[in-house]
Order: sequence, then structure tokens, then C-alpha cells
Amino acid sequence: MQLLANALIAGSLAALIAGGLALVYGVLGVFNMALGQLALTGGYIAWWLHQVAHLSLFVSVIGGLISGALMTWLTFEVFVRPFYKHHRFLPLVTTIAWSMILDGLILLVFEERPRSILSGGKSMIPIGSALISKEQCIMIILTIASLLLFAWVFHCTPFGRKLRAVVQHESAARSLGINSAVLHRVIFIVSGVFAAAGGIFIGIDQNLSPTLAFSLTIKAYAAIIAGGKGNIWGAIICAYAIALLEQLLVGIHWFGAFYVPAGYQQTVALLFIIGILLLKPSGLFRSVSRTA
Amino acid sequence: MLSLSHISLTIGEHRILSDVSCSVDKGEIVGLIGPNGSGKTTLFNVISGFLAPTHGTVHLRGLDITCSSSSRRAQMGIGRVFQNFGIFREMTLEENVLVALEALPKADRTQRGNLRKIAGETLEMVGLQSHAKQKAGSLSGGQMRLLEIARTLMSGKEVFLLDEPTAGVSPKLTQQVADLILQLKKQGKTILVVEHDLPFISHVCDRVIVMDVGRVALTGKPDEVKKSKELRELYFGADPTT
Repeated sequence: MQLLANALIAGSLAALIAGGLALVYGVLGVFNMALGQLALTGGYIAWWLHQVAHLSLFVSVIGGLISGALMTWLTFEVFVRPFYKHHRFLPLVTTIAWSMILDGLILLVFEERPRSILSGGKSMIPIGSALISKEQCIMIILTIASLLLFAWVFHCTPFGRKLRAVVQHESAARSLGINSAVLHRVIFIVSGVFAAAGGIFIGIDQNLSPTLAFSLTIKAYAAIIAGGKGNIWGAIICAYAIALLEQLLVGIHWFGAFYVPAGYQQTVALLFIIGILLLKPSGLFRSVSRTA
Repeated sequence: MLSLSHISLTIGEHRILSDVSCSVDKGEIVGLIGPNGSGKTTLFNVISGFLAPTHGTVHLRGLDITCSSSSRRAQMGIGRVFQNFGIFREMTLEENVLVALEALPKADRTQRGNLRKIAGETLEMVGLQSHAKQKAGSLSGGQMRLLEIARTLMSGKEVFLLDEPTAGVSPKLTQQVADLILQLKKQGKTILVVEHDLPFISHVCDRVIVMDVGRVALTGKPDEVKKSKELRELYFGADPTT
């Protein structure tokens, strides 16, 4: 039961980041390799606002989300937009470069020591045989609420229909008068807000550390590749599946003889991608095909 | 209504269009024919804003739209039907029409009232109302074509660029496409149609422009063009009567 609860917590974090990333891939067809660093930036800004500037937690979280949006907008304008029209793989290189710059900046500004947005102990709530903190409960509920809200926007509103039109046939969407350039920008920024929410999630639940960015990015990519590139719901389901496998790997007393050391948890996402691609190269769910 | 003046397009070292000038009057149906690679679809891309010409200008209702984006041109009234089906396959038929109506400028949307009702009427017009909740990808090629033309029509476009509207369509549905095009003409719409089906062109078009290697080779009424030696040479390689 505790393993499932842990998987739900870790999966919610990964789903936030992977969902945004899958949307960006579906709409623009580009990979943003700096997403982990953008997530951490949101988390660190929220930490700074709460712990250093002594603003309320609510204001600090909003500040973290806004900073995530602004940083992602900057990423789009400087490292993606000038390049992706020439070749969709160019932003892969430019965002890797940006991720390395951000790694250095995060280390310089926020230093290497762990930072937690909330100080002090957390009160735990028993749910069945599992223990979950109040903050974790709130974050799981908020994540699921955000994903449901997003699902409603995506499937039931004019904005969502335009978005799906651009994903499915960009030229046809443009020929109907849909301004795909504006949608590209909006979607990229939305993915950054989701990532920043993930970073804030880490800062509240655990500790922020500059070294986390790479593993966040890898897990998100594992989820979107295994879920069928560009398939948002496939990515979200796979994010939860990877989190569950990670918890099972290190939480089970294998053959009653040994535990797998926690350090190997990170390998699950990579093994998951390789395993899925060997069995089903197009991903578990149908990819969203781009016709333009 | 629509005029092209000295349009040239060079991509890399390849000259795709050379000094193309032509105009289409309001309510006129003009056929654009020519061998594969003669630049017909490229010309459509220039008119609809997907490609910027190296030289020349595009005017719509006297306004220079050469530098306008494709979405801006669509909002100004240029609609396009794609050779490879410009429908959203993972969306329902109703959503395919709704998204076109929702992309209209706000004033137009408000004026039209209930968009879902208009979407239903659009599907009824082409006999697809019973499929309204189905995904568009489940339709046959001909039905997809009808959906695309009807969607463009209901989104209030004034100029239609139809790229091979009968490609992959059965003879029965070809007739339905022709009827729809003639219905557009009655409503005063301006239509440019790329087609290889010469009887179809003769049936629906007022005038024909023949393109070859990126330039206008011939222009005239369908019957005159059909009889011309140049057209036979372009399509069959040599004049079969000689």
C-alpha cells in the first residue's frame, strides 16, 4: 500500500512534466532538453520567495509558476523559435546548450546544498496501511485536478479544438485562419508552467538539488517515448507506470533475499524506454502523426 | 478579386515559378492544369501564404497581401482544399466544421449565432449528418473531400483554392463535388481549381490556365484550350493528330 502511495506521489510529479513535454512535441514536433532545469528554476524561485523573502507559501508558489512561465518563454524565443522552422532537430542541440548554462546558473545562484520550500516536520495522514503527508495529498489532488482541467480544455473548448487541429494538420489549420505561431508559443509556455509546478512539488515534498534536472528530463522523455510520441495521455499513463516500477524495484524484498539499492531507481526509466521500444517501437499508445 | 503579378519563386538553384501573372474575377471558376511538376500546387502555396515569392505580388480585392501570413489570408477570405485531404482525422466531423467556424474573426462568429447548429447544417448539406459524431478518419476519400469543401464554404471564404478535388474520388462523388463547386459559383464565390480531369474542368470552369515548367503556357475558354495543339503536346508529349 505504501509502495502504491509513493508511486502515486512520484507519478504525479512525473506526469506534470511529461504531459507538458508531450504537448510540446505533439504541437511543435520539437524536444526541449532544458525542461528539467526549467522545473528546478520554478522550484528554487518558490523556495527563495518563501524562505528568503519570507512571502506566504501561496504567493511563493504563484511566483515560482510565473518565473517558470517567463523562463520557458525566454527559452522559446531565444533557443527554439529561431531554429525549429529550419529543422525540428536543431532545438535539441540548442536546448541542451541552454540546459548546461542553466545548470551552471542554478549552481551559482542557489548553491549545491539541498533546499526545501517548507521547513520543519510534516504531519502524516494514515490512509489504509500507508502514510501520506498533508502536503503530498494536496499535491496529488492538485495534479489530478490540473490534468482534468487540461483534459477539459483540450477536448471540450474552442481553444482545445484549435490546438488539436494544429497537432493533426498544421497547414489545414492555418488555412482556416488559426494562428499556429501564437499557439506554439502558448503551448511551450504552458509546458513550462507544468514543469515549474513539478519543481515546486519537489521543493515542498523533498529537497531541491541542482543535480535533479537531468533525471527529471530523462523520466519525462521515457514517458513520452513509451507513451507514443506526442500522445499526451499515453505520456501521463507511462509517467505513473514508471513511478510504480521504480517503487516496486527498490521497495520489494526480492526473493526474500535482497533489496535493490535506491541508487538503481534511476535506471528504471531508461530500461522502460528500451523494453517498450524493443516490444513496440511506436510506443504503447498511438503516436500523434504530424502531417505538416 | 484575386490577381497575381509577375510571380517568381526560386528555391535553392531551382526556379519553380517564372513570371506568372494572372487574375480571377469575382464569381469566376478558373481551372489550373498542366503536367506534374509544372508549378500548380506551388502557385497555390504562394497564393495561400505558405510560400513567399522571390519576386512579384499577390493582391486580394485590390489589397497587397504578399507579406501576409497564411492564417491572416484565411481570415481575409482565402480558403484552401488540400490535395492530400486537409481534414483533422482524429476529430469528429462536427468538430472539423466547428473548428473552422471558431477560427473566424470574433465579429463574424457573433453574427452567425449558434455555431453547433451551423456545423449540423453544413454536414446535412453534403449528406454526412449521420456521421457527425464519427471520427473524420473513418470516412472514404470522397466523403473527406466533401467535408473539406463544405467546411471551407461554411467558414465564409470568398476565394477557394481547390487542389485536385476529384483525386481518389468515385465517379458518383465526383459529380457531387462538381455540383458543390457550381453551387459555390452561384453564391458568387471565386474559385481556382487544380485538376488533371479534363472533362471535369470543361464541365465546371469558365476559363483555363495551362501551366508548364513554372510559367503560364496558355489561357482561354475550356473548349478552346482542349482543342489547342500546345495542350496536347504538354500532356501527351506530341500532337497525336500529326
